[in-house]
Amino acid sequence: MRIPRSRSSLRATGLAAAAALVVGGTLSGCGSSGPGGSGDGEISVWVYQDPSTKVQRQVVERFNKTSKIKVKLTQVPGDGYSDKLRTSMGTPNAPDVFFNWGGGSISEFVKKDMLLDLGPAMKKDPSLKKGFIPSILDAGGINGKHYGIPMRGMQPVILFYNKDVFEKAGAQPPKSWNDIIKLIGTFKGKGVTPFVVAGTDPWTELMWVEYLVDRYGGAGVFKKIQSEGKDAWGDPAVLKTARTIKDLVGRGAFGKNYKSVNYTADGASTYFAKGKAAMHLMGSWEYANQKTNQPAFAKSGLGWTTFPSVPGGTGDPKNVVGNPTNYWSISGKLKGKKQQAAIDFVKFAAKQDYAKALIANGDVPTTSDASSLLNGHENPTYAKFQYDMVRDAPDFTLSWDQALPAKYTPPLHTNVQKLFNGQLSPTAFVDAMKGM
Amino acid sequence: MADAVPRHSKSVGRPSVAWALPGALFFVFFAVAPMILVVALAFTDWDGIGTPQWTGLSNWTRLWDDPDTHQAIRLSLVLTVLTWLVQTPLALLLGVWAAGHQRNRAVLSAIFFLPLLGSSVALALVWKSLLDPNFGLIADIGPALGFEDGDLLGSSTGAFGAVLFVTAWQFIPLHTLIYQGGARAVPRSLYDAAAIDGAGTVRQFFSITLPQLRNTIVTSSVIMVVGALTFFDTVLILTKGGPGTDTTIMPYLMYKNGFQAFDLGYASAVATILVVVATTVSLLLVRLTGFTAMRSTREGM
Amino acid sequence: MTDVLHGRPRDGVRTPKRTPVASRPRRRRRGLPRRNYPAGLGSLIWLGIVGLPLYVLVAATFQTRNGYIDHGPLALPDHPTLANYRRVLTSGFLHYLLNTALVTAVCAALVIVLSVTVGYSVVRTRSRTSRRIFQIFLLGLAIPSQAVIIPIYLVITKLHLYDTLLAVILPTAAFSLPVSVLILVGTMRDIDEEMYESMALDGASPTRVLLQLVVPLSRSGISTVGVMSALHAWNGFLFPLILTQSKSNRLLTLGLYDYVGEFRVDTPALLTAVVLSIVPIFLVYLFARRQLINGLMGVGGK
Repeated sequence: MRIPRSRSSLRATGLAAAAALVVGGTLSGCGSSGPGGSGDGEISVWVYQDPSTKVQRQVVERFNKTSKIKVKLTQVPGDGYSDKLRTSMGTPNAPDVFFNWGGGSISEFVKKDMLLDLGPAMKKDPSLKKGFIPSILDAGGINGKHYGIPMRGMQPVILFYNKDVFEKAGAQPPKSWNDIIKLIGTFKGKGVTPFVVAGTDPWTELMWVEYLVDRYGGAGVFKKIQSEGKDAWGDPAVLKTARTIKDLVGRGAFGKNYKSVNYTADGASTYFAKGKAAMHLMGSWEYANQKTNQPAFAKSGLGWTTFPSVPGGTGDPKNVVGNPTNYWSISGKLKGKKQQAAIDFVKFAAKQDYAKALIANGDVPTTSDASSLLNGHENPTYAKFQYDMVRDAPDFTLSWDQALPAKYTPPLHTNVQKLFNGQLSPTAFVDAMKGM
Repeated sequence: MADAVPRHSKSVGRPSVAWALPGALFFVFFAVAPMILVVALAFTDWDGIGTPQWTGLSNWTRLWDDPDTHQAIRLSLVLTVLTWLVQTPLALLLGVWAAGHQRNRAVLSAIFFLPLLGSSVALALVWKSLLDPNFGLIADIGPALGFEDGDLLGSSTGAFGAVLFVTAWQFIPLHTLIYQGGARAVPRSLYDAAAIDGAGTVRQFFSITLPQLRNTIVTSSVIMVVGALTFFDTVLILTKGGPGTDTTIMPYLMYKNGFQAFDLGYASAVATILVVVATTVSLLLVRLTGFTAMRSTREGM
Repeated sequence: MTDVLHGRPRDGVRTPKRTPVASRPRRRRRGLPRRNYPAGLGSLIWLGIVGLPLYVLVAATFQTRNGYIDHGPLALPDHPTLANYRRVLTSGFLHYLLNTALVTAVCAALVIVLSVTVGYSVVRTRSRTSRRIFQIFLLGLAIPSQAVIIPIYLVITKLHLYDTLLAVILPTAAFSLPVSVLILVGTMRDIDEEMYESMALDGASPTRVLLQLVVPLSRSGISTVGVMSALHAWNGFLFPLILTQSKSNRLLTLGLYDYVGEFRVDTPALLTAVVLSIVPIFLVYLFARRQLINGLMGVGGK
């Protein structure tokens, strides 16, 4: 009586288990062949996907033609890149080579000894080190060691303006804070938004905060925050900045609906290009972006200038904020031939044809011979402006959200957004920053 | 009842417990164990790369003082209540209306059903585009609706209302369908009798339809409430928890702490709260509506 | 779920003779009040609320990028184009669709097999253990799957399943189980005891009883479970978002989300991807409307 029962139940269990195994086998099978984990003859490379990614796609193609170990390129679109990267770094599917911003974006990986120290490779092949502007190469390292090879153009934050809109209003690009205040009135009178800012992507608002803090108190303020911790947010420059933001918002400098404007779907850029806003404070990639989406505007309507100084500010107006560039970093897990292949791959970024490809894309490369190549840029004045701006800057402050560890990014963004939205008063903003 | 069954049949045709094992083990491994694990992780510090470090109560003391968490709990509860208040009457009316077999109702019901075909991601993306202040539908029709600059998502109440509206737009069809099924099961004879007594439409609705739909209302409410506590997809795409933190509901706060700040221990504490809130709310609903009593009558079968 | 929760008999199981067709004329004759103008007006307003966004959605897919920006979403496309569809279809859409279909099918199959065996054991075994097992499933009912994404991420990583389709399937299926078991236990309990007895008299093994009696008579419950778990898997977003990464394992919902960063200013292309993501379910709706709706109605009971 018991025997048939247990036998049949065994069979049932067995069937279910077998089914689960079959299903499991096929699915994990098709998963493991994916590019997330790299197979024997390949290394996986991750890059942030935007209009500029085509340069990296081309270099992968070229590399794969000559190398036995192939590169598998994974493009991660949108602003989720850092989160996705971080999520996968804790797994066996972490990329072998990946795009990053240096600084805080890799500091935790370095702390956990997960990245390859590029020092030895640079010693072996001096071109790897000499090929780049030293200050920019250094910004990709931590504690004097090099972990990153510059692989995109320099990305200072620039004050862009719409030439047509300025012409119609008979206005001149701002040279001082006084000009800024006057221009706000001028453009509001014409029904044009003075500055477009993408309120749903708070890192665009952060650029204002970074520049203002620098102009009020110099680059030292943020350096102190980095080295001494959150109490350093109490620096008077931070409060002055917050008050200035509040003043700008109150004057209608950003229009009325900036809180729901986006950047990642080009909402702000399109608004700006269509002449509905006069100015746009944005990273230098805005040029390549406009070139892709609004080529006519990029060619003739896009103007640029530096961020002016503020009354009573002690910061050097030549200082720049933004991203020195982006870097390739190599996973410390790679050994032997694959490690060599990864190094060979990142070396491509030091070569002249790579720099030329960047220039063709509208970028300004960070290689040491870049200045001689700038005439090849389709807009040499823009390229030279950018190159000189970075070269002459006494300090280049890395975007705060990249310079600080990942842990601080969400509260930093939230606080800045709240400041712009009027949800935090200037003093409450300072307190919130101290409390991060 | 069991004793009345002839002896041999009790065992011959009966499966053993082993039949339940694959399902039970699977469930324990991928659902129960993680539930226990999330509570455990709430007492650790873990950045996702290394191994979790035991930190005792520190996440919890931090949580206790964290205004974002307080706000998230409040927002989640308010959103849940408002979701119920908005969706139930609409779905109930539409469902009862759609239960009629007239041709025009059938055609319209088919259209009303359409939003249900999209995933919350797809629909949130549609609404995100429609609510773009400069290039969306709201730029065209916003002024007529009282949103001069189309800045709906930029205001706290606007963004919260948008989440409420978009999720209602998406889920009302499901609940309409549930009520439609419920209304069709109401015995005709009740309406016939009421009609003879001279009761009008409105009275029939309140004295027959509503009481008869009691169980349906409970079911729909449970689904609605548990659903509203987890409107993550819509918030992530539509508002990213903003402006500021004014639409940062519990699941989004967990995501933000966990997979943006990589403070996974702290995020686990938030997740634990979410589990507790969800369980409490559904137990409360179940208690209030007498579901346990009904279940226990079936229990010993 | 009502009838399951409340243990009410489901029609179609206990009384299979009563088909909807037979009862229909009676209902039509008497229907709810025929003319109800306030209700008619209300439904027209709702039609506007549902219809306008759907119109914009579909119209935008034939619009060019600049047409959409310059003329706004309400305008009819001045130069109707299929370029958006071309762009989406060449951006990996079909691959995502295939992945999603695979995940959906496997999830539904897994949930059906597991919940049928669990339900069968819970209903037909008289042991304490099976009741305990049932209680565990009941406990899981209220737990939102999102709340456990962190430990799931840990478990999936440790199992070396990160960035595989299986990483999404396993937890998704697990969290579909409680409701499914509940529904099937309700359905199976309504099968008459005499039917079991007569099969037992024939000396049928539990497997035969399951396949020849329980499964055929639980068809409505099984189809509800199938529809629900399939929709659950089809629409799932957080699990793919956290547990997968590469393009080759990208599912439709995550694909749509990533298109925002990929298409950027090209809103018409994004909306086209949305429309295309709805098409498969729409086809199911067209060709299997009754099953889909009954499956969903089964959630609420009749």
